[in-house]
Amino acid sequence: MSDFTKPYRSTTQAGLLLVPTLVVLVAFLYYPAVETFRLSFFQTLLLGTGQQFVGIDNYVALATSAEYRQSLFVSVLFAAAVVVGTLAVSLFISYLLFEVRAGASGYLLAAIWPYALPTAVAATILLFMLHPTLGIVTHYLEALTGLTLDWFTSGPLAFGVLVAVAVWKQLGYNIIFLVAALNNVPETLTESARLDGVGRLRMLVRVYLPLISPTLTFLVVMNTIYAFFGAFPLVDLMTSGGPNNATNLLIFKLYRDAFSFNSLGLASAESTVLFGIVSILMYVQLRFSDRHAHYGA
Amino acid sequence: MATNTDTATETAPSRRLRTRLERAFNGDLFVHVALAGAIALVALPLVLAVIMSTQSTTEVYEVTNLGLGSAGLSNYETALTEYNLTRYMINSAVMSVVIVVGKVSLSLLAALALVYYRFPFERAVFTFILLTLLVPVPVRIVPLFQLMADLGWANSLLSITGPYIASATAVFLFRQHFMSIPESLVENARLDGVGPLSFLVRVLIPMSRGMIAGVSVITFIYAWNQYLWPLIVVSDQSKQVVQVGIKFLQGASQSGLTQWGLIMAGAVIALLPPLAVLVALHRPLLETFAIQQK
Repeated sequence: MSDFTKPYRSTTQAGLLLVPTLVVLVAFLYYPAVETFRLSFFQTLLLGTGQQFVGIDNYVALATSAEYRQSLFVSVLFAAAVVVGTLAVSLFISYLLFEVRAGASGYLLAAIWPYALPTAVAATILLFMLHPTLGIVTHYLEALTGLTLDWFTSGPLAFGVLVAVAVWKQLGYNIIFLVAALNNVPETLTESARLDGVGRLRMLVRVYLPLISPTLTFLVVMNTIYAFFGAFPLVDLMTSGGPNNATNLLIFKLYRDAFSFNSLGLASAESTVLFGIVSILMYVQLRFSDRHAHYGA
Repeated sequence: MATNTDTATETAPSRRLRTRLERAFNGDLFVHVALAGAIALVALPLVLAVIMSTQSTTEVYEVTNLGLGSAGLSNYETALTEYNLTRYMINSAVMSVVIVVGKVSLSLLAALALVYYRFPFERAVFTFILLTLLVPVPVRIVPLFQLMADLGWANSLLSITGPYIASATAVFLFRQHFMSIPESLVENARLDGVGPLSFLVRVLIPMSRGMIAGVSVITFIYAWNQYLWPLIVVSDQSKQVVQVGIKFLQGASQSGLTQWGLIMAGAVIALLPPLAVLVALHRPLLETFAIQQK
């Protein structure tokens, strides 16, 4: 790229080509992001008629709020469960897809379709299938285990249901990347192990997993971001944060504080905390993929 | 193998069983059976939803009734007409298409400038674009909502498309792709004195068809999935998108019984467009993802 001669030189033209993108990014991304940070130091008075500077009061309120700490705890736990669950199931299916010799392309589409599954649709379908009294899946699970699976009143069960829906929705995306990564592993690296007759499972753990670790890191980050931001419809359509705040994810609490309770300053402080979380995640991903750069491209 | 040492302490029959299990596990049949089972399990909720979307409310309340119901397609008809799903579907389609066209056009122009123009602060401009990955909607939701109100965009198509038509990811992908186009082609264009826009239309776009299709699929599925932002910024029900529309369906009840058959029909309808797009265009999508990851 260094000795590539760029054919065009007009700075004005370059500017004109970039202006549409830059205007949208400044107006709808940078400006509101900065404004969020500013608002987080203010308290909005009655229906947004005025603002009063309150310093770090909003952050102090968050740090000392038992409800917020619970929400943070639930969100982190949720992200961890979604990441582990999604990767475990996707890895299982992807490895089978990779190993299968006949009909691979037919299987692939049948396995990745949940990529097109909107979160709200996934939530609506499973809300009914897992319904404590009307859900057919719950009915047979209860018959099989002898337990009463009423997740409308049990916090831990409701949490488990949300994790299951999130994993279901995320499978397609993860399988797409995992299958591609497995197919990209050069055969020269796996040949000798195969000739030694190393079993399938050991092949995965000892040979493939280390080689596809950059993809795994990428997916850990993407799934975490999904768990923090994308899971909103699950809470809104299935649990409304309950029972007993067991599923009150940060993004849902932020939405309610801002648009039901009109605490715009407080909600902005919550947004700023979320920004901190995304930044750390992106940083981790960059650091990690830099260290493993020799596997790339 | 180090692990073979511990098998030596096992008794002969158990070792034989173990070997047999391992052989079965490593055989082709196991792969097919496990894969088909996993795929069936993943598809199960959807298959059940399709079945139950044909059932009447009484049939749904029998819980274990797994037959195709007596309602036939009438749940779909009711959802589309009485519950306004047709309107929501049109709103979603218009929103998604506008976002796809807008994002692809704007990103192609930006990538053209980044790759083929020499101008000051190139690197800084690219970083400035990439950094927006750090601010997803929830991070700027309150001011963005106020901005829409100030602009008078609330309840309009502009509010649900505008914030999404520029994208760091799309610019990044087109930039990567342009950089892989052979230099000789660029050189020819330069010697022929081809202007930048005709270079884009005549050379770059034809050479980027796969990438454009891939970005379009990703964007369409992403846009169709939008829920939180339309929920906040659109308060006029007739302007709402279908993902939020199925939330309205949840209130559907008949003599005190929730009409789950109708709700399932709505969910299936709201899934069909992105599913169709994925099935039709999964090849360019997979190729695009392969580049994104590098």
